[in-house]
Amino acid sequence: MSSILSPRHVWTYRLLFGVLAVALITLKLLPLNLSGGGVPAPDLLTALAFAWIVRQPATVPLGLMIGVFLLADFLLQRPPGLWTLLVILACESLRRRRLTMTEFPFLVEWGAVSVAIVGIVVANRIILWLLLVDLDPLGLSLTYGLVTIAVYPLAVAVSKFVFGLRKLGPAELESL
Amino acid sequence: MARDSYDSSYARPVRRLALTVIVLLLIALVLVWRIDNPRVERIRAAIIDRYVPNMEWAMAPITGIARMAEDFQSYARLFEQNQELRRELQQMRAWREAALQLEQENARLLDLNRVQLDPELTFVTGIVMADSGSPFRRSVLLNVGARDGILDGWATMDGLGVVGRISGVGDQTSRVLLLTDAASRIPVTIQPAGQQALLAGDNTPTPFLDFVEDPEDVAAGDRIVTSGDGGLFPPGLLVGQVIFTSDGRLRARLSADLVRLNFLRVMRSHPGTTLDDPGALIGPPWPPPGMVLDDARAPGSDPSARAEAP
Repeated sequence: MSSILSPRHVWTYRLLFGVLAVALITLKLLPLNLSGGGVPAPDLLTALAFAWIVRQPATVPLGLMIGVFLLADFLLQRPPGLWTLLVILACESLRRRRLTMTEFPFLVEWGAVSVAIVGIVVANRIILWLLLVDLDPLGLSLTYGLVTIAVYPLAVAVSKFVFGLRKLGPAELESL
Repeated sequence: MARDSYDSSYARPVRRLALTVIVLLLIALVLVWRIDNPRVERIRAAIIDRYVPNMEWAMAPITGIARMAEDFQSYARLFEQNQELRRELQQMRAWREAALQLEQENARLLDLNRVQLDPELTFVTGIVMADSGSPFRRSVLLNVGARDGILDGWATMDGLGVVGRISGVGDQTSRVLLLTDAASRIPVTIQPAGQQALLAGDNTPTPFLDFVEDPEDVAAGDRIVTSGDGGLFPPGLLVGQVIFTSDGRLRARLSADLVRLNFLRVMRSHPGTTLDDPGALIGPPWPPPGMVLDDARAPGSDPSARAEAP
């Protein structure tokens, strides 16, 4: 029981998250899908961050998230800081609500994450619109959100079965 | 217990304060990006300049393997491809003969007329290292940058057609905004009608033609070349062919193979000479040396009156 929350365990997973994030960003930068058109690739990094924050929040601390997402913003040609900001706010709200999520089946968690992702995409668009930035096509933005939602169970499965990141039970969460 | 140091209740107010500060800082960053865009984009170019060449050891092998896998799939229809290539080669031989004859004829005619041609365009070749990584942006990163003399705005081609323009130069890398990006607009000429138009990207593989003077004059299959208007690109670079889509829009099928970008040529553009002094062109300086005008001694005479002097 204490091994789940031991510093060694937590720091291992923090390191793992950093490595995974850099790998995902680098993978996205590979010049392979240049053709354009079709379904956009999902935002695996956001899905992974949500999956981990719902499971074991201590493994994804605030500082790490800021570093990783700011790097992604700069490297992936997004407005720097905006996506980071929205992801951090969404993660905070998920972190508060995860006590209720542990008792219900996975579908509830998926629903909450879907709401968060759609919220991020819409808020991103509204803020860019307020700042008078050229907007991306609406359909493409929504498809991007939907694809990310669709890939979320995959991110959860990989975290659970490959990296052994299990959900904390209510007993462990009570004291948090 | 150990968990107190990670997620305990007494740390909650501190955490909330940190969160507020971070949120405010991020909002400030977004606003700075919006207000002082060139500076933040330079920072971005610098970050990419540091990151991408350092990750090259990981990216190059994976890209190579993925490309090999793509090529391997095409083995399945090796025979058909071979036949197809043979036929194409036959046609190309005929075209090559025609082109050689025309080139010789052209050279003879130019020689007869003593035509002064534009200086030959020179280019720097770069390798594609990375793409934009985002479904909303169409751009690639080259391994040549300010170190190699690359400047913002230069045209970039693959072997055949225009691919895009340089937009963002780091020390060792530079970003090419592809013609298909939603922010890309370049002035083009549609041959043979000579129509001017604007080629606008919209995140699809076929950018559309905007502001065509007379769409009736344009037929599917017409060639699109850069017009050089606005001094943006060198004129006459091949872009693609006109196609009509089902919604009645004019679009361009690009000659460049945007799916397989590997080596790109960055064309060194020479800024065009602007004519802002018309007098120097019209004739020798007036009055000629040695000639004294009648009204030269009259003080306060209108200088425009000298046009009527004999």
